[in-house]
Amino acid sequence: MNLRFIGSMAWYYGIKTIIRGPSYLIASLATPLTLLFLVYILSHGVLVKFAIVGGLIAFIGSVGLSGAGDAAFFRLQLRMQELYVATEIHASDYMIAFTLSYLVFAIPGVVLYAYLGTIYHLFTLFNVLGMIFIMVFLVVTTTAISFIISGSINHLRNIWGITAILTIITSILPPTFYPYYYVPNAFLYIISLSPTTPAAVLAQGIFGLAPFQINMVYIFIVEIIFYSLLARFFVKWQEKR
Amino acid sequence: MIDIKGISKIYNKNKVAVNNINCRIESGISTIIGKNGAGKTTLLRILSTQLKPSSGDAFIDNLSIIKDVEKVRKKIVSIPQESSPIGILTSYEQVFLYLTARGFSFKSAKDETLRALKIVNLYNDRNRPTDELSGGMKRKMFVAMALASNAENIFLDEPTTGLDPLSRMETWAAIKMLSGNVILTTHYMEEAKELSQRIYMMNDGSIINSGSYNELLYPYRNKIRIESYSKLDNSYNIGNIYIKYINSDEMGKYNDEYNVIKKITIEDLFIMRGVDLES
Repeated sequence: MNLRFIGSMAWYYGIKTIIRGPSYLIASLATPLTLLFLVYILSHGVLVKFAIVGGLIAFIGSVGLSGAGDAAFFRLQLRMQELYVATEIHASDYMIAFTLSYLVFAIPGVVLYAYLGTIYHLFTLFNVLGMIFIMVFLVVTTTAISFIISGSINHLRNIWGITAILTIITSILPPTFYPYYYVPNAFLYIISLSPTTPAAVLAQGIFGLAPFQINMVYIFIVEIIFYSLLARFFVKWQEKR
Repeated sequence: MIDIKGISKIYNKNKVAVNNINCRIESGISTIIGKNGAGKTTLLRILSTQLKPSSGDAFIDNLSIIKDVEKVRKKIVSIPQESSPIGILTSYEQVFLYLTARGFSFKSAKDETLRALKIVNLYNDRNRPTDELSGGMKRKMFVAMALASNAENIFLDEPTTGLDPLSRMETWAAIKMLSGNVILTTHYMEEAKELSQRIYMMNDGSIINSGSYNELLYPYRNKIRIESYSKLDNSYNIGNIYIKYINSDEMGKYNDEYNVIKKITIEDLFIMRGVDLES
């Protein structure tokens, strides 16, 4: 593993991007914060804790999924992936570097949600640690999905549309802004295909907002492994066709 | 030294992109020239281990591009066709990042990045996001990557395509500073002449001729090219122009206001083989 490359990429494409292109950060925060506002108004504040915890999950998920556009753009338009194939790094270094960049990029948004969570007295040492694990695993899984999508397409023209659709599906349909027990179990398992579902259900359990669902731990672990392996296959580091 | 042994690439539906290429490329700047779709990029992508060949092998400093992929990747730099920088990052950051990917320490990556940016004249613009740079400056940034990496084998796929004449000349100057074994592809005849010690003419996936610029043209030293909008006997028709090759002592017959007389170039070697470079 090339930690120097991964660290440099996270610094340049994570931190520097926040400074030079803050609009991207605001754009990824816009939907979750708007929904948080709506949930607050419509539920008269009753579900606001769900919306804060879920909003953070949705934000992290959308940051990871926005990587599909980036990864495709880097591969098909900038040809950066080809440039890096002929170096010492492996496909896994390349993907981890992206993942860490997105994680770093998400820090200001996480701080904002942390502030909101503090106002509502949401945090304990236990649930903060639990949430950090969930966020890290969620970024890994959603970035892996990004590479699966970006590796599956041969033309850029549809990628922004696909990413937008996926972001909405994975951030609003799952129980991010509402209690997971509001939907039937069967539906919950269907939407568990999106990693934001187990992440949101687990977060609600950890924060004591709803009963803890141990099944979702297994689903989340399986998804992390499955999507990561699939991404390794789809990344097209060396083409064989 | 690069030794190519029977490399072929056949895509789905039996489309032959590269057809049984055998050649040995010595150090210096070599150019693979051919029209679009000739197989230049496919060959370069195979040599840079991005694409697996259907058959054959190539050896870069005696390392197989099939069996020794990891080792080969440490010895090469490959700048893809139409590659563009990440607009939000500066040229310094991108060259530095690239060098860390090549295993450089932070200190040597910094030193080599600054050295290369000075050589290609980008030092003063090193902290500007690359989306503010001109096309030529962007291409020079990639040449700086190759320079800074100190790699022994450098592949540049159409490094000046789409650039204006001034930017092209700037990029040529930067390419001339590269050492080791440089292979570039182009469809610009003047680029091949300006930069390369050896030229490989490629068509339909095969190398059809090779040699230095002068060697390639030597057999035609007594020939000239006549261009006319009117049909000429035994001529080649390219678009709406008729091209005929004659001995220079016959020039008097064609020396009128309707004909243009030109010296023979590499382009003519393709035309004589019936290859339309504009297609």
